[in-house]
This record gives sequence, structure tokens and C-alpha cells, in this order.
Amino acid sequence: MSQTHTATSMNANLFAGVDRQIRSLSDEEITISVENLNLYYGKDQALKSVTMVIPAKRVTAFIGPSGCGKSTLLRCFNRMNDLVDICRIEGKINLHGENIYRKGIDVAELRRRVGMVFQKPNPFPKSVYENVAYGLRLQGVNEKKVLDEVVERSLKAVALWDEVKDRLQSNAFGLSGGQQQRLVIARAIAIEPEVILLDEPTSALDPISTAKIEELIEELKVKYTILIVTHNMQQAARVSDYTAYMYLGEMVEYADTMHLFTNPAQKATEDYITGRYG
Amino acid sequence: MSATPHPPAILGPSLLPNPERRQKLRKTRAFRDGLSRHGVGAAGVGVILALALIFVYLFYETSPLLKPVSMEVATEVTVPGDDDLAPTVHLTLDRFETIGGRFSASGVITFFSADNGRILSRKQVTLPDGATVTAFGRSESRKSLFVYGFSDGSMLPLRVDYEQTFPQGVRVITPMLAFPLGDEPIRVSGGITGNYSALTLVDGRGGYVVAGGTDRGAIAMALFSTRTNMFTGAVEISREDYNLPAIPRPVQQLLVNESLRNLFAIDDQGTLYNFDIIDGNNPRLVEQVDLVPEGVTVTAAEFLVGSRSLIVGGSDGSLSQWFLVRDEETGISHMTRIRGFRAQPGAITFIEPEYSRKGFLAGDATGAVGLHYATSSVSLKQIQVADGPISRIAISPINSRALVKTEDSAALQVLAIDNPHPQTSLSGLWGKVWYEGRGQPEFIWQSSSADDAFESKLSLVPLTIGTLKAALFAMLLATPLAIMGAIYTAYFMSQPMRRIVKPSIELMEALPTVILGFLAGIWLAPYIENNLPILFVGLLLIPFGVLVAGFAWSRLPQNFRNFVPPGWEGALLIPVVIALGWITVTSSPWIELAFFNGSMRQWLTDVGIPYDQRNALIVGLAMGFAVIPTIFSITEDAVFNVPRHLTQGSLALGATPWQTVVGVVLLTASPGIFSAVMIGFGRAVGETMIVLMASGNSPIVNFNLFEGMRTLAANIAVELPETAVGSTHFRVLFLSALVLLVFTFVINTVAEVVRQRLRQRYASL
Repeated sequence: MSQTHTATSMNANLFAGVDRQIRSLSDEEITISVENLNLYYGKDQALKSVTMVIPAKRVTAFIGPSGCGKSTLLRCFNRMNDLVDICRIEGKINLHGENIYRKGIDVAELRRRVGMVFQKPNPFPKSVYENVAYGLRLQGVNEKKVLDEVVERSLKAVALWDEVKDRLQSNAFGLSGGQQQRLVIARAIAIEPEVILLDEPTSALDPISTAKIEELIEELKVKYTILIVTHNMQQAARVSDYTAYMYLGEMVEYADTMHLFTNPAQKATEDYITGRYG
Repeated sequence: MSATPHPPAILGPSLLPNPERRQKLRKTRAFRDGLSRHGVGAAGVGVILALALIFVYLFYETSPLLKPVSMEVATEVTVPGDDDLAPTVHLTLDRFETIGGRFSASGVITFFSADNGRILSRKQVTLPDGATVTAFGRSESRKSLFVYGFSDGSMLPLRVDYEQTFPQGVRVITPMLAFPLGDEPIRVSGGITGNYSALTLVDGRGGYVVAGGTDRGAIAMALFSTRTNMFTGAVEISREDYNLPAIPRPVQQLLVNESLRNLFAIDDQGTLYNFDIIDGNNPRLVEQVDLVPEGVTVTAAEFLVGSRSLIVGGSDGSLSQWFLVRDEETGISHMTRIRGFRAQPGAITFIEPEYSRKGFLAGDATGAVGLHYATSSVSLKQIQVADGPISRIAISPINSRALVKTEDSAALQVLAIDNPHPQTSLSGLWGKVWYEGRGQPEFIWQSSSADDAFESKLSLVPLTIGTLKAALFAMLLATPLAIMGAIYTAYFMSQPMRRIVKPSIELMEALPTVILGFLAGIWLAPYIENNLPILFVGLLLIPFGVLVAGFAWSRLPQNFRNFVPPGWEGALLIPVVIALGWITVTSSPWIELAFFNGSMRQWLTDVGIPYDQRNALIVGLAMGFAVIPTIFSITEDAVFNVPRHLTQGSLALGATPWQTVVGVVLLTASPGIFSAVMIGFGRAVGETMIVLMASGNSPIVNFNLFEGMRTLAANIAVELPETAVGSTHFRVLFLSALVLLVFTFVINTVAEVVRQRLRQRYASL
């Protein structure tokens, strides 16, 4: 018991000065529900009977040790796992009640609705402008006026506009890592997704850029449902409303972030968040 | 904390080798590093050096073409024959350039050493009783035929032969006189009054023609045919007299070409009368042409070797070349001015054509001697030999020594000439040239012929165009197939299938091109010629059929499609393509019957499209096949190496795989694809065996799909073994090799520069 106590008081520091209520998923509007999801890479099972709901306009963080399946789960939401030949999926993921694994779904349209940002900034070898406009052009939008407006709005949304407005036509590779990552987020929100998946978005960035991205996540959740995979527990605590702890492909615990960090229900969760895992 | 001299106890004693051994190891390591560094450096420098040496060697072999022409007075010898004071009517020089010959107005022929003027022998021509020499004429220089005309109206043709003997192993040349029509003077036709003012004789097809013109405008001409009796060895001479109409003015010069088709008479005002003498009974005047402008007279005129071109020298020092050009509409050949040469300072007094090529020496009234070349229309050199007018010039058959007689000097000037490659000027190699007998200036490559008097046509344009044409058609086939195939293989195909497909296509590169060329030339060319519709039907049917098959497949029920693992769909096309190919082949005869009266090849000829059996189409197919692996392999690597995070980024933005290929993959892979195409092009340009065997090697200048071509590489392969080492032709072949090398070098350099630029722009992190 004393150990639990220590942990609790220690993690409470994470929330020092934060004034908020412990939320309950039952009060939330639900965007995504996962039902009994099993995922296999060939014969290896990477996700085991995952069942959860993702609340709308909240930040949901996935934590857990390397190889626990959190990134795999994230990639299930926009069916990026389809690109892996040997991957097989059972179960359901409902987006607004519609199973995204049902036959005949338009995967490209699904991915427009569920945007994704990767660990490493991956701008295309094009200009800043064309990077942001890319998604719109895919949707058949080619009017300059519309594109101009979307590019400006998206870049403003990620607080990049002031930094790049004078070099919209120069190559996106000229931007710094943090700027590139914000550009990629701008590119994702330009096509008005409903959900944004962030796969360790700050692991390749310096602390200042990380802080900016975290600030951005805070702002974006007003409009979007955000899912974030992170290795950094402080980050999960800082930016997320709900946190899921995964271990060996299983969903160990899933609760309000403050609750999970300060008062975990599972021993395994507690070990992990107090750094005693392993 | 203080530093501990010993390692911490938990690590135990050091297991590293002791310091001395480590010191030694460092040394050997440094030595190996240095060795490999210098070795790699030396190898790199060696490669560059080898390439540079190829350039240097080719340039070394080509450089004599650029050497400036030299011509100078080497020595001077006194005019031989002191006791023969009659004027010189002609000079000769033998092919070893040691024996000169002087023909005098008194009928004395003196042979002398061209080195020191010592008299070797002297012959007197028997003159008819009481007659004097009034005219002298000669044939083309190669034949060494001359004719004296006497005041009684008779003529004596004679020939100079040089007999070679080798007493005691030393070459001795003895000049001899021969009389091909007998040693008695002959009469060409009766009734001619007045003295001969111009004489000529020709050893042409069908016999000797002797012609004379008088200062009253009358022209007499006769054809003498000789026949040797097989039993007695006696020579029978038969003659045929021509009746030519007189011209209104004195005949100043008479010329008959070797084909015995035309007689040209030039009057004292510079008008040329062109007589058609094919029909001996009815010679007729075709045209009159003014060779020089009003107020200028023709002071010298001579045929170039081959007697096709006439070089006309005017009293104003002008020099021009004329020959007969056939009017395509009327079929009549007209004497046409082809080109002019740089004018000399004084009136042209004598023109001496070179023996084996289309050059000539011209002497003028101010004592200048100019060296000119007709094909390349250049005036190579002009020197001042004397102060007075030049009266006679003799050049040797090997074009490197000449004798010059001036009117008022007692000495003969001996000229040394170094002029091995006069016909290769920049305009001659790359510009249109009006060659003898052609209707207009053209680009022609025709380097040799059986005829001595052949004008070699060394234009590099047909070869360069041929090279580009072959490469172009090959690329037309190879580029789309290879690039599309590479994109599919790298981006859509499943890994196990890709592991089979990629090495198989790359293996095609190892196929010897001689086999491809052999198949293309011996089997494919005649097959396509007889089944031409296959190509066009296939070109429509196969792509269309493949699209239909793809569409049909996408409409099949999902569980049926699941039989084929993802990424293996491409394999389904193999039976489809085979079936479509079979349909194409079997339908060809029916299509020919239905639309092309049974033979498409004949139909093409009928509608006016020339068709060669070995043509650009065949070369395009065979060489395209050879180039595909090169382009495919590099493109495939480039597409495959597009980072996954870029394609995934695109897919995650809602792009379909095809949108991703177009929007991101091709863009990122563009440097690699570009260099693949350029390397493929470079390969097609340099490819030899396929074009050699499948192109027909006709050096024509057009881009017609159904005609052949000759490429630079194939031309070198064909002609280099047959050319004389050191000849102009030989050097021009080296020049074409240099052009080819520069070509591929430029293509590769441009490719590399553009690739680097693209890579800078589209490089992924």
C-alpha cells in the first residue's frame, strides 16, 4: 500500500496547478468504438480482444512499453495496416457507428476522415504551399482561391503561417524539424478530418518544438478528436484527457488521465507509470 | 573523487592486448588504411586517365585532318633542252616525282630529272614534211595521252608510258613514247580550213576520240576504235567521223567527257557550246552557256579527274566549277555553275587538275599559283611563284610535288606540297554539298567506290541522323514499357513475385546483342515484312485487351478474386497477353486480305510509302528490347527506394495508390527515372551489333519508320576494316568515333547534371 501511496503522490506533481474534474467516459459523446479487435501479423497476434470507446473532441493517449501494440492499434483506425500484406484483422471498429472494416468501404475516403501524423516529419518534396494543398487536390479542388484560403487557414491553425508566409513556394525541406511536423499537421487538417491520429509526433523533435506541438494539440481538440501514441508519460499526462495503458497487445487500463496517473486500478499500470516496469 | 589508477574492480583485469601490441596494431591499421585509400584513389584516377587516353588517341588520329596545307617552292631547275629553244607546250611529272617531261612546240619531248634538271632522254616526234606544230592537246591527266596538231591539218596522238625495271635491285624508271593510233599523223576530217586552235583527245568508252577546233569556228571530231586481232596480234583501227556544226566564233578550248556523251567548245568570248554527241550521225547543240560575265573571257578551262566537272578560269582571275545537272522535268542536262573559288590576282593562265581527287592547281598572269579543292569548295593555299605569268604547271599523280614554268624565266620551279586531306572542311562534313552529277546540294555518306575518279562523299550528317533515328525508335518502344513495368514491379507487385520478375528482366541485359541483331535481321525483318498488320493490330489490340482484362477482373466477385494473393494480379495478364498475341498473329492474313488487297507491304508501296525490309521499325523493336532492361532496372530501383514514410503520408491523406504514384512516387523518383532514360538513350546511341545487322545500313537522311539508317557505330564497324590506314576516309572514321564518344559523353554529363539538380529539389530526407 505504501508503494501505491508514493506513486500517487509522485504523479500528483504532474497535475500540480491543474484544476479539473475527473471525467467519465460514460458522459462523453463517442466518436469511435472498438469491439473485440484482434490483429495478427502472420501467426503472431499483435492485438488481443481490444474493446474501447474514443470520446469526441478529447485527446486520448496510448502509452505502454515498446512493442505493446499501441501504434498498431492507432494504425487500425485509418486502416494503414492494410499496407502490410501479412496483416489480418478480426473484430470491428465503428466510426460514428459505421464499421470501417466492412466490405465496400472507400478506404481513401476513410483516411480523409481520419488523418494521421507520423513520428518522423514527412513533408513531400514539394513547396510548403503544395504540401498543404496536396490533400485538397486529391479531392479534386484546384481553384486557386479556395486553395489559397485553405492553405492560409491551415497554416494559421498550426501557428506556422507567420513563419512561412514569405516562403510558401520554397521547398518544404527547408523548414526545421518542428516546423515540418507542424506543416504535416496543417496538411492533415486541411482536408477537414474528424479524427487525427498522432503517432509519437514529438519523438524526433527538440523540447521547444515539442512544447509547441503540445500547445497545438491543446488547441486542436476543440474541433477534432485526437488520438496520440507517446512514449513520454509526462506528455500523455500534459496533453491527454484519457489514457489507455497497453501491454503485450492487451488493453490493461483505460481511464481519465488524471485518474489513471494518480490512482491506477491495475498493479501493472502503476508499475509502468512509476518507472518500475521491466 | 580522485581518479583511480586501476579500473574498477567489477570490470576485472583488462583483457585488451598490451600497449605494445596495440601500438603495433595501430601501425598496421594505419598502413592498411593508407593502402586502401591510395589504391582506391589510384583506381579512380586510372579510370579517368583511361577515358582521357581514348579521347587523346582518337584526337591524335583525327588531328591530321586539321593540319594546315603547305605549298612552297622547294628547288629550281634550269629548263632542260638548251638546244631546243621552242616554247614549252606541256609539262608532266611521273608518279615517283623524279622524272619530268617537257613537250616543246617543235615536237621535241625531253625527259629530265625533277631533282636537278639533268636530261635523261629526248625524243623527236616525226612532223609531216614541211609542217609545223600549231596546236597541242591532252586527255585527262591520268591517261597520259597527248596530241600534236600540225599546220597541214593532221594530228599525232601519243602516250607517255613509264617502264619500271629493277636492275641490281634498284628501281629504274624509263619514260617511253607510244603511239596508240599509229606513228603516222592522222586526219580527223577533210575540208577543214584554218589552223587548229584547240585540240583534245579522250580515251573513252568505245575508243579514242580526237577532236579539233579551228580559229574559224569549225569543229572536227572522229572516234577511233582499236581492236587487237587475237591470232596475229595486229591492231586494227576503225574510225567514225562526226559532223559537228560550226560555232560562230573561234574555238578556244575543246573538251569531250569520258562517257563520250558531250563535247564542250568554248569560244574566245567565254561562251560554252554544249553538243550532245551520243548519236554520232546526228550531233546536236543542246545549249549555249555564258561561263563568265560580260567583258571577261575564259582564259583556261579543264576537266577535273573523271571529266564530269569543268573548272573555268577567267581573265579576271575568277575560278568556278561547272557540271551537267539533269532537269528532272525535261530530262535534259544543263551545264550549271556549281560553286566559285577564291579569285586569284591575275587572269588564270593554266589549270592543272589533281590525279586522284577533285583538287586543282591554277596559275595566273601575276605569277601566283593557287591550290583549290572542289568538293569542299575551299581555296587551300596561294603562293607567289614568280613575277611573270605562269605558263604551265604539272602535278604528280600523288599530289605532293609540282613543276611550274613561268613565261619569261629560264627556270622551272619545283613546288613541294603537303595536302593530304583537302576534302574535310567543316562545311564538307556537316553541311550540304553539291556533289558531281547530283541535282542539288545534299548530305551524303558514300566513302568509296570502284571508280578511281570517284568523288568521296563524307558527310557525317546521315550517320548522325541515323544514330538518332535508331535511338529514337528504340526509346519510343522501350521507355514507356520499361518505366510502366518498373513502377508496377516496384510499387504494386507482391514481394515474392518481384523477386522473380526483377532479376529475370535484368538477365535480359546479358543477352548478346549480336544474337538480338541476328534474330532481328534474319527472322524478324522478313517475318514483319510479310505480316505487317501484326504490328498495328498488336499495337491496338494488346494494350486495349489488357485494359479490358483489368476492368473485367475488378468486376469479378470478391471471393473469386481472393484466389489470387494481393500483388500477384500481374501474373494473370500472362495468358491474356499470349491469347491477344495469338489473335493478332492469326488475324493478320485476314486483315491483309480484307483491307490491303492481300499484302500490306505492297499496299504501302502503292500509296507511295517506301518500305525497306530492314528498317527503323525492326531496329526499334530489337534495340528497344535490348534497352528495356537498362531503363527498367534503374527506374525500378528509383521507385522502390522512394521512402515508405512519403507514400504512407500520401495514403494517410486519403490518396488512392494511383494518386500516390503520380503525386509523390514519380516526383521523388524523377532523378532516378531521368537518368535511367538517359543511360538507356546513351546505350541506344552506342549500340552497334543490332543496328549493323538489322538496319540495312543505308545512310539516308529521314525519319521514315519503314526505311533503314546507318549509325555512326555501325558505320565504323563496317568501314574501318576496309579503309586504307592514314587515308582521309580512315581519319574521318576516327572523327566519327570521336563524335560518337562526345555524343555519349555529353548525354551522360547532361543526364548527371540534371539528375543532381532534380535530386536537390526532390531529395527525400
